[in-house]
Amino acid sequence: MLFSLEKLSHRYSDGTLALDEISLNFAQGERVAFLGTNGSGKTTLLNHLNGILKPTSGNIYFEDKPLSYDAKSLLNLRKRVGFVFQDPNDQLFASSVKQDVAFGPLNLGYTSEHVKQLVDDALTTVGMSEFTDKPPHFLSGGQKKRVALAGVLAMQPEVIIMDEPTSSLDPIATSDILHLLLKLNKEKGITLLLATHDVDLVPLFADKLYILNKGKIVSEGTPKTSFSNTELIRKVNLRSPRIAHLFEVLKKENNLPIADELPLTISEARREILRLIDQAVKETKKTSN
Amino acid sequence: MSHSELYVEIDRSAYTNALSKSSPITKTFFALSALIICVSVQTFIVPVVVFIICTILILGLAKVRARLYFNLFVYPTYMLALSCIFLALFFGSGANLIEISLPWFTWSIFKSGLIMSITTFLRVEGALSCLFFLVLTTSITDLCVLLRRIHMPQVMVELSMMIYRYIFVFLEISEQMSLAQTLRLRRSGWLNRIRALSMLIGSLFIRTLDQGERTLAAMNARGYDGDIRILEDFASPKKLVLLGIVIFDVLLVILLFLTLNIGVI
Repeated sequence: MLFSLEKLSHRYSDGTLALDEISLNFAQGERVAFLGTNGSGKTTLLNHLNGILKPTSGNIYFEDKPLSYDAKSLLNLRKRVGFVFQDPNDQLFASSVKQDVAFGPLNLGYTSEHVKQLVDDALTTVGMSEFTDKPPHFLSGGQKKRVALAGVLAMQPEVIIMDEPTSSLDPIATSDILHLLLKLNKEKGITLLLATHDVDLVPLFADKLYILNKGKIVSEGTPKTSFSNTELIRKVNLRSPRIAHLFEVLKKENNLPIADELPLTISEARREILRLIDQAVKETKKTSN
Repeated sequence: MSHSELYVEIDRSAYTNALSKSSPITKTFFALSALIICVSVQTFIVPVVVFIICTILILGLAKVRARLYFNLFVYPTYMLALSCIFLALFFGSGANLIEISLPWFTWSIFKSGLIMSITTFLRVEGALSCLFFLVLTTSITDLCVLLRRIHMPQVMVELSMMIYRYIFVFLEISEQMSLAQTLRLRRSGWLNRIRALSMLIGSLFIRTLDQGERTLAAMNARGYDGDIRILEDFASPKKLVLLGIVIFDVLLVILLFLTLNIGVI
């Protein structure tokens, strides 16, 4: 296992229990989404995986070794596990795009030739190479987000953690980021851990979904199985993806013979609708015969 | 132009002017050498020549908008004009130009004081044009890299880099806050304005502390160990251009010696 969490709890200094005995595992190359309302503990959980926060109790294992918090081990961990923050203004601190992306690899002690290469590659991957010398305040929200991602990519991590990757992005920028992440996962085998409250995003992205509520994991599985439990989804103040909701209504109100696992994406919906039409055609044929 | 507009415009110019890609070493060398020669003289001609050359370079070569360039002179010139008036009125000795006699007091304006006032004015304006050349054509990032290369203390360079970045973040936040106050019908009147401003400054201060903490966390997440390393990557200076600047400086110095005696009216 790449990451194992064992009864991880975190209590903030003001007394709030943000995480309550969380245990879970991820393997390499997985695309994991954490879904929950604001304040459900997603960010706190992810902050533990890159050593930003220390657990109050419980254990975190990275490649079966417990995390240690001395400077050297942390640097080692952070080289392999990159963290993209929710607000790119938190992350972009340097006066130009290039200097900001170079910050991580320079901390790893690479030569400046090597760093230049990494910066170029990372900016090309996210499609921002024409902005190399621009200061961050010249960029739009979506562009800042991509530069923030490049800053992490330039360290060549094996795991990328993103906190709300699509919050405050327009539809095109959202879909760009999403495709970029999927490409990274497919081509470089980068493990992706995402916190989000965008339910429509989850089925497009994740192959594993954890739903958090008040610091606890209340559901664990694929997006399909989790979203089929509509009662639970409502109980934790989330909603189903729009498409799943439509099919749920069609099933309940119109008694259409829809599969138990509700379709979540457009392509799944298309398949289900075609299946229903097919079935209906066959039935009419049968009756007319 | 308002203050914040002016800052944003200067910054934009530093990235978009026609000289933005040329070596910061060349630009800094030109600006500083011309500046030093300009302020070290007591004559009229050299500062005027420096001013004209810098203006030609800024407007002609770097293609900075004339409105922006001349706008930059407005505030410093107010201050300068005031100081020069006082220099003319109260300084100098020797032959007096004008004498105002009152029964109990004689006030003289001296020729040397007047000359001092005019030369000071011209020297400062010339020096300003050198600085504006640097500011309008060179980005802060390039300057920071340069400062590191000449071994300025690291903490100063790091601070200037981050202060520069977050000026723009907080400029935006403060503009939003101020707009939000206006939209919620901030009452007019002097006292109310001061009260609203104090609230704005207070919450902005808290925001800066908060931002600092979050930025530190984000830096730590990318392996920050207390030193911000800078990627030293910019165009290296062209020898020919450097030579040209040296020749220009030598010519300026020659001009300086030729005009030493003309300098006095």
